[in-house]
Amino acid sequence: MNTQQTAQLKSSANGFARRRSERESGMRLENKHQSGKLNQNRSMNAKSPSRDRLVYLSTCLIGHPVEVRLKNGSIYSGTCHTTNVEQEFAIILKMARMTKDASYRGSKQEYVMKAPSKTLIIPGKEVAEVIAKDVPVTVAGQSNELQNERHEDILIDSSISHSRHVELDRELSPWVPDEDDPQCPGLENIFDGPWNRGWDQFETNKMLFGVKSTFDEELYTTRLEKGPRMRELEREATRIAREIEGEDTEDLHLAEERGINLGEDFDGDEEVRFSSVIRGRGLDDSGYDEDEDILLDKRNTETFGDVPASSGAKTDHLHRGTSNDSAGALLTSSVDEPQCSQSSNGSEFFQSNTYDHCRQQADDLPCKSSTSDCNGRSLYGNPEILRVAQGHDSINASIETKTVAVDGKLSKSNESQSAENSQTAGFDRGGLLADAPSVTSSVKEMPPTEPEVVYVKADGESSGVSACRQPGTFASGSDHAGATSASSHPAVSPSSSLIGSSSSENSTLNPHAKEFKFNPNAKSFTPSHSSPVRPPSPVSDGSYYFTPNVTTLPQMHGMPVGIGMGPSYSGHQHVLFNPQVAPLRSPQPYFHPSGPQYGQQMNLGHPRQVLYMPGYQPVSSSQHL
Amino acid sequence: MEGSISNSGSNEDFAVGCMLSIKTTLGDEFDGQVITFDRPSNILVLQEGSKPGPRRNIRFLKTNYIKEFSFLGQSEDPLDIKKCYIDLQSLQDREELALRQAEADAERIGVGVTTEAQGIFDALSKTLPVRWDKTSIVVMNEVRVSSPYLPENVIGGTPAANDRVKKVLELERRRLQTRP
Repeated sequence: MNTQQTAQLKSSANGFARRRSERESGMRLENKHQSGKLNQNRSMNAKSPSRDRLVYLSTCLIGHPVEVRLKNGSIYSGTCHTTNVEQEFAIILKMARMTKDASYRGSKQEYVMKAPSKTLIIPGKEVAEVIAKDVPVTVAGQSNELQNERHEDILIDSSISHSRHVELDRELSPWVPDEDDPQCPGLENIFDGPWNRGWDQFETNKMLFGVKSTFDEELYTTRLEKGPRMRELEREATRIAREIEGEDTEDLHLAEERGINLGEDFDGDEEVRFSSVIRGRGLDDSGYDEDEDILLDKRNTETFGDVPASSGAKTDHLHRGTSNDSAGALLTSSVDEPQCSQSSNGSEFFQSNTYDHCRQQADDLPCKSSTSDCNGRSLYGNPEILRVAQGHDSINASIETKTVAVDGKLSKSNESQSAENSQTAGFDRGGLLADAPSVTSSVKEMPPTEPEVVYVKADGESSGVSACRQPGTFASGSDHAGATSASSHPAVSPSSSLIGSSSSENSTLNPHAKEFKFNPNAKSFTPSHSSPVRPPSPVSDGSYYFTPNVTTLPQMHGMPVGIGMGPSYSGHQHVLFNPQVAPLRSPQPYFHPSGPQYGQQMNLGHPRQVLYMPGYQPVSSSQHL
Repeated sequence: MEGSISNSGSNEDFAVGCMLSIKTTLGDEFDGQVITFDRPSNILVLQEGSKPGPRRNIRFLKTNYIKEFSFLGQSEDPLDIKKCYIDLQSLQDREELALRQAEADAERIGVGVTTEAQGIFDALSKTLPVRWDKTSIVVMNEVRVSSPYLPENVIGGTPAANDRVKKVLELERRRLQTRP
């Protein structure tokens, strides 16, 4: 073609402006270059929609790789630059290569590559066919294409693997699974409801490989006994949990966790808000300040109902620590469950489990039952307890302080006493025996109250129990004391009440406190499986100790052994008890304060912190220290 | 000719939307759907493939090269007029892009070399930086592989590089031989 024709070709191609506005397919332009302007082309040919379409489609080819088949069979590949429909579909290709040379008859190997032509003009007469693949015909296709092209500059994986440059050994096509065959279930299916899959891995394994499994889920978890009380317990637990989680807190991070909005103008960057540890709440890290005390008190009040005035008085007594009543009072005191547990509001600092348990117990148990329990407990292991109690050495300050509280309690009415007892019981759980008679009796009857409980109440007022100020430390102290005391630690046994109020010799606070004597031979207690189910009592963590010569109780076999803080089961009673208590074969009636697992009211040896769930097998049967 | 279409031939045969099976004089056989037929120029535009997306495989075929065809069925218009408009600017951009790409590709093609040589070049380029220097392949700007591109023809570069190129070359040749 001559240049003029070329020019015409170009211009005519560029004249294909917006189709909508294009009225005719006429090509004869007077050198109109691509400007996006509409061109009113005068066409030699009649307007026809078919011609329009043709023009439109051929315009779509611009910039697109096409393959032109010539009349003689040769094939050229290149980028379409323009087409001229008028001229029998002449076409100009840029960077064209002859991909098949019709005139060449030699073998493939000898075919010599030629450089691509920058511009290849193919006259229309030669053109037999033009083939283009993946031509964007509509708008949607066009916009995508440009983006795709841009992305190709970035060399995405698929473009690399597509590997235009290299001959492919075989045509690659994406894999599709043959129908959904059971061999390869869809991924979505596999993880739907793993519990409902209907597939037992052990069965499968056994079938395939003959491997018999000895897996028993209950070895690794504690069994939830869905008794009739379960719903109640659950409900209560969730309520408490919600309450806890919803309450206000000063702690930034806690607040954030609970969704408490800090306010727009909170001063602090991300680190302060989400990450850093907040310090400086006082010298002591346990951070149990007055606000929390009040908060806890309030919470307890809400949870457990108002404490009768007497308990308030009891508190006073605690502080004063004056009277040192004997266990007798304790014995007769009816355990007031709510009160008992109420005192356990220090759990937050001690062990939350205990606290929860206390609360739970308090909620669950009717006073009466607890009373009976307490009373029953009081009978437990009296002789041993007595002995042990008497063998006590002087106890550390914390114990003494606790005793003070106990004493104070004892001097009060039954109710208050019971409350105090509970407190002391909680204290005792820590493994410390304060005042032998009073403590033991109280412990016997008491729900697992936290030592902090005592202090919580006391904190509000100045108390001689300075040591109590730090519940955390107290707890640790008590634990420590408990540890050292080991088995020989005189168990605060129910029978302590029988001991009568013995004068405390060692503590200025509690005249009745017994010396704490370490008993290395104390055995650990393991409650028996067959213990009758008793309603969970709040006195789960009373520390009872008795001398080793009382009984050597066989270890319970098959019971999961675990020491230490187990996982806390939300909403359930968490009872801290001393696992070292072996099941008693002693003649004394073995009293399980609450359910079989609460048999550990009898603690032999070192009191360990173990979590108990009501209705669960006791977690520990560890040997004493 | 049997089945050939003359200018005065029946219009109905090439109605828009017709499914046709066509054999061309060039030896092509394919099925397609008529998008348009322009009688003055005798060009039949067909759409191949059935995927309804915005991108289609299109053939512009001059009817004089149709050896025979058969009517498969009638379907609706494959082109939605309402959606058809062109952005000239984007077309130009696309063209420029394609040209750039093509030029880059052209660099990889040796001029006056056999297809076998080109195959070797392509294979080497998968793992090594290669370029053409007339009819020699230059690897890593150090090692030259000249015709006939046998391991003996690997020259230059450090011994390590040389060995490496030799090894790759041998492997590629072996692979090329196993393939038809």
